[in-house]
Amino acid sequence: MRFLRTLLFPLVALTSLALARSSTGDTVLVLLEPSLKKENFSIFFGDLEKKGYKLTFRSPKDTTPEIIKDDVAQFAHVVVFAPETKTFAGDITPQTLVSLLSKKTNLLLALSPKQTPLSSLAAEFTLILPPPGTPLISHFPKRDTPATVVPVEPPRAHHIISDGLAPVWFSGVPQALGNSPMLVPLLQAPPQAFASDADSDSGADALVEAAEKSGEGLWAGSSLSLVTGFQALSNARATWVGGIEIFSDEYINKEISKGVKSGNRQFVKDVAAWTFQEANVLRIDTVEHHRVNETLPRETYTINNQVTYTAYISQYDPELDLWEPYSGINDLQLEFTMLDPHIRTSLPPVAGEPGKYSVSFRVPDRHGVFKFNVDYKRKGWSYLSSTTVVPIVPPRHDEYPRFLSAAWPYYAGAFSTSAAFLLFVALWLAGDEREPKKGKGSKAE
Amino acid sequence: MPAAKIAPSKTAGSSQSPLLSLWKAYYESTSTRLKTIDAFLVFLMLSGIIQFLYCVLITNFPFNAFLAGFASCVGQFVLAASLRAQVNPANRSEFKDVSPERAFADFALGSIVLHFFVYNFLG
Amino acid sequence: MPLAYSLPSDLSPATVTNTSSLLRIIALALISGAAIASRLFAVVNFESIIHEFDPWFNYRATKVLAEKGFYAFWNWFDHTAWYPLGRVVGGTIYPGLMATSGVIYNVLHALNLPVDIRNICVLLAPGFSALTAWSTYMFTKELKDESAGLLAAAFIGIAPGYISRSVAGSYDNEAIAIFLLMFTFYSWIKALKTGSAFFGTLTALFYFYMVAAWGGYAFITNMIPLHALTLILMGRFSSRLYVAYSSWYAIGTLASMQVPFVGFQPVRTSEHMAALGVFGLLQIVAFAELVRAHVSSRQFQSILFGSVIVIGVLGVLAFAGLTYKGWIAPWTGRFYSLWDTGYAKKYIPIIASVSEHQPTAWPSFFMDLQFLIFLFPAGVILCFRELRDEHVFVIIYAVVASYFAGVMVRLMLTLTPVVCVAAAVAFSSLLDTYIDPVEPEVSEVAVPVTGGDSSAASPATVDGAVSSKKAKKAAAAVADASSTGIASGIVAAIGGQSKSPKARGIFGLDTRFLIVVNALGMLLFFVLHCTYVTSSAYSSPSVVLASQNPDGSQHIIDDFREAYYWLRQNTPQDAVVMSWWDYGYQIAGMADRPTLVDNNTWNNTHIATVGKAMSSPEEVAYPILRKHDVDYVLIIFGGLIGYSGDDINKFLWMVRIAQGVWPDEIQEPNYFTPKGEYRIDDAASPTMKNSLMYKMSYYRFAELFGGSQAVDRVRGQQVPKTGPTLDYLDEAFTSENWIVRIYQVKKEDLLGRDLKTANAFANGKKRKKSKPLARRKALA
Repeated sequence: MRFLRTLLFPLVALTSLALARSSTGDTVLVLLEPSLKKENFSIFFGDLEKKGYKLTFRSPKDTTPEIIKDDVAQFAHVVVFAPETKTFAGDITPQTLVSLLSKKTNLLLALSPKQTPLSSLAAEFTLILPPPGTPLISHFPKRDTPATVVPVEPPRAHHIISDGLAPVWFSGVPQALGNSPMLVPLLQAPPQAFASDADSDSGADALVEAAEKSGEGLWAGSSLSLVTGFQALSNARATWVGGIEIFSDEYINKEISKGVKSGNRQFVKDVAAWTFQEANVLRIDTVEHHRVNETLPRETYTINNQVTYTAYISQYDPELDLWEPYSGINDLQLEFTMLDPHIRTSLPPVAGEPGKYSVSFRVPDRHGVFKFNVDYKRKGWSYLSSTTVVPIVPPRHDEYPRFLSAAWPYYAGAFSTSAAFLLFVALWLAGDEREPKKGKGSKAE
Repeated sequence: MPAAKIAPSKTAGSSQSPLLSLWKAYYESTSTRLKTIDAFLVFLMLSGIIQFLYCVLITNFPFNAFLAGFASCVGQFVLAASLRAQVNPANRSEFKDVSPERAFADFALGSIVLHFFVYNFLG
Repeated sequence: MPLAYSLPSDLSPATVTNTSSLLRIIALALISGAAIASRLFAVVNFESIIHEFDPWFNYRATKVLAEKGFYAFWNWFDHTAWYPLGRVVGGTIYPGLMATSGVIYNVLHALNLPVDIRNICVLLAPGFSALTAWSTYMFTKELKDESAGLLAAAFIGIAPGYISRSVAGSYDNEAIAIFLLMFTFYSWIKALKTGSAFFGTLTALFYFYMVAAWGGYAFITNMIPLHALTLILMGRFSSRLYVAYSSWYAIGTLASMQVPFVGFQPVRTSEHMAALGVFGLLQIVAFAELVRAHVSSRQFQSILFGSVIVIGVLGVLAFAGLTYKGWIAPWTGRFYSLWDTGYAKKYIPIIASVSEHQPTAWPSFFMDLQFLIFLFPAGVILCFRELRDEHVFVIIYAVVASYFAGVMVRLMLTLTPVVCVAAAVAFSSLLDTYIDPVEPEVSEVAVPVTGGDSSAASPATVDGAVSSKKAKKAAAAVADASSTGIASGIVAAIGGQSKSPKARGIFGLDTRFLIVVNALGMLLFFVLHCTYVTSSAYSSPSVVLASQNPDGSQHIIDDFREAYYWLRQNTPQDAVVMSWWDYGYQIAGMADRPTLVDNNTWNNTHIATVGKAMSSPEEVAYPILRKHDVDYVLIIFGGLIGYSGDDINKFLWMVRIAQGVWPDEIQEPNYFTPKGEYRIDDAASPTMKNSLMYKMSYYRFAELFGGSQAVDRVRGQQVPKTGPTLDYLDEAFTSENWIVRIYQVKKEDLLGRDLKTANAFANGKKRKKSKPLARRKALA
């Protein structure tokens, strides 16, 4: 497999120079509400098409093309640019959007200060939206744009967003994050920003009060997230964006300061790349287990055996559309579990063999049905999980040591008894011939 | 188990120690056969006592080997003692159905079965 | 001598002997046939299927033995039972039954008779019941004579007390164990009578087979020493006893330790100490006898006698001391509860909850034994009259078995053989007296003659022309006068001496005719009763239920197999099924899926975990289910058709067992109403209504009744109209009569929510608006 890959490398590289493909498919459905014009987002959609995605446009109120037909998802990705639509067509409900995630379809959803069905769906993702009509407002830095159009510093050293981007123009609602560990914040609000319903700061007192009361009911500060990713257990990704304008051509071309273009273009490209399963996509190719000195796996292992467990992990390379072995995980863990983990050890990468993670350990002294459990969850990366069930049996009756040196008197005793018995029989029979016969002379043995 | 005959009265009024006279009486009154059995019995008893002392004083691991060795001594002992009882002419009236040859055959069969189980249990 | 009716006088003794042997063989063959045939009701009415619960496990084990060979069977680690703990089957079963079936299977296949292993397992018990009849015949022959033996064989062939555990399909340890029991006892008696070490070895070998076959071998382990001890105390010590007991104990105990499940128990537990103690005592007594014969002085003899008693008492104290210190394990719960009947209910609820362990009700004695139960004491008294060594054994066996049968229903089985033997002795004595044609002399000594032959249980015509060995026996009868020297009927026999010079006997044919016909009538009633009880009460496979349609035709209720086969065909091979432990073996056998707990009940904590999951609310039970990788939950619900053996009726036992391990979380009173009633209708307590078992039983039950009041036919109460809702489980399968219900456990929610809110969302409910989480207040 890896050998073929090295052959394919130059071939594929030649044919797909500028293409960055998704690992799950190219078809994208864009639900664009009628009030928005496709031309206003031409740069964003153009970048997507250049990467190789096939976009299909549909109005939220149309009934075709269907999102799910016969319980099969029709598109690999769905972009919902309908921030102010109050009613959708019959086949688009919050429940069907969640079921899309279970069918491994990725979602990119845009919100707005208005109350729509999407706002109640956001609550299922533990995103806490401010009351309707309260967009993000920031009075700093001093600028020409209204207070609702906020320049936001993109995160530095983030594994999803490229480094060194210029500030990003944003306008829309902030989201307060709930407890779910599956949330991946992609753009944090500036510390001076807050959610309010008007420019006039009439509600400033309430804000100050809420800040005194340890922040309950307060949508303010850098703990707010403006673009939030969410990776479901099926590894499908859903990204919630606070406002649609971040994708628009106007914001992409707007200048942050004299001569410096905003970082919107690259930012939304990165967001789309992560959402559409191009970047940070890992998978476990295969796992193996065998005894230390063997190569083939066994159906069962015996207690106290030395066992080696190996996992092969690869990462998706979007440019080459290939899965390449990936040895960059330093904190992979293996659990050997029967109801509770009996062994929990790190699964380090093997030097010299890319993509291979291996560890050897001694099976516990307990028989039962154990599982090799790899469960790797990190924010922004695909979840890796693998469970292999293997029974551990006690030693067979002939696997115990045969002769124990401590038992020599007993062996001697038993053998001597047998020897004495044979001697006795011999003496008896010999003696019988000498003695006058009392009855019959024949002996039965 | 009644012995062959009542010991002749060498014990009465003799200057030898009672044990020695007992021994002499025993030696003269029992047949060769019975003496062979008795020697066998004594050997087995010693072997069993040695094993038991080793088990109690030193270690009782492995217990199954101890049981096998000890049981082989005990089992062989009782089989031989049974043989002695059956072969003893004084007991003819009790053992009507068992002639001495049949007794020996029974003894041999029982011992073989016993040894089979002993070796199975030993290791 | 005057005779009531004439006997043919021109028969030679050889003809008499041969004919009587032939008649005996034919009688035994007919008895075997009757024994086998009366056990086949279930096969004829339903099909050749393994019954009940425990036999399914034995059947699985036998299949492993037949398919994979002895090595795999001996080392079999069953990783689908007691998931995920697994069960080391090789070391925790009695392999005798499976080994027997395996041998028969291999022998038949070697003869090119490809009999399916299932048929061998189903028909093993009837086959061995024929052997039991034969061994009972041999045993009783040693007590009295062949005619009593034939009667005993007939009785045990069809007595319901034994049939209940050995019908075709009841593939359980008792199927071969009773045969081994009787044969071991027979060879012990033979060894005692002849004083031959060969029979002692034979006893030891069959004792080993019995240890390999059944946990009830402890009965033999204690009966034989008890008998030996009684003989010693009666002053009947003899070399024959020494030979027989020593050879049995030495070889038998060593052999019994070969079975891994028994292991070192024979030298470590109280149940086996009696045998060891008597062994030691016997050696001491034998040695004392030996020394005593050498020394003639009285004084020394009395010293010897005293020292033997002192050593005996010291030995008992040593045993008690070792038990107290813990080197010898005390009596295990199963056997201790026979002595202290209230013990199990308090401390080991699992033992107390088994229906077979309840005390015996008086009617079941009659149902299982009919007229044998009142012949039984008569037979025991007759044994007192004879009082040879073997009669002492029967007396002891009778007393001990009567006590045990009164304590536990299950132990009726060990009472049945001795009842058959004693009743046969009594009945045979009666028949002997009244068939014997000799009339008493008016002035001569009445020579008691043993007569009687072939009075088989089959309702044959009055066989007047009995050929007796009277010519030979008359001479030997003087010496053997005690055997059947009843000269004038049962009543007079109890006090009468047989050698009285007064003339006593029965004159004329009319009395004889009346009594013999009456006796045959009683035998006929016995046969009718046994057949009726067998066909109606003991031949139900309990996997398949049968009821009657209004027009009288049979209606088969096959819900269990329907559900098990649904599991087998619609779930992944490694799907784990959780159910109460009663059904574990059946699920493993028929559905072939891993189970959490089964009938072996070796791990109380695991069973208590299942009990806790069943009696807790869904949110508490769900983590337990996920931790154990449970995919499906199976319950039995009889409320629709009135099947009263369902899980709601067993629910309190689940609660009690869980409470034993988690007394803080589960309390039994919470499941009753404030008034203390056990209700499932509107008045049920909230804990009861929220428990997983209640929800699973009554989920969608009210919908069946289409608006009118839903009624639970077993409890006789009205189920609330709005049934329970389930968030963490999905209904997967419900059988035709709603007896078996299977639920699938949902996996974790996709978005990481708890399943209750996920379900609410899926049903369209909106969440309450929440506020951002509080953060720490900044220090000024």
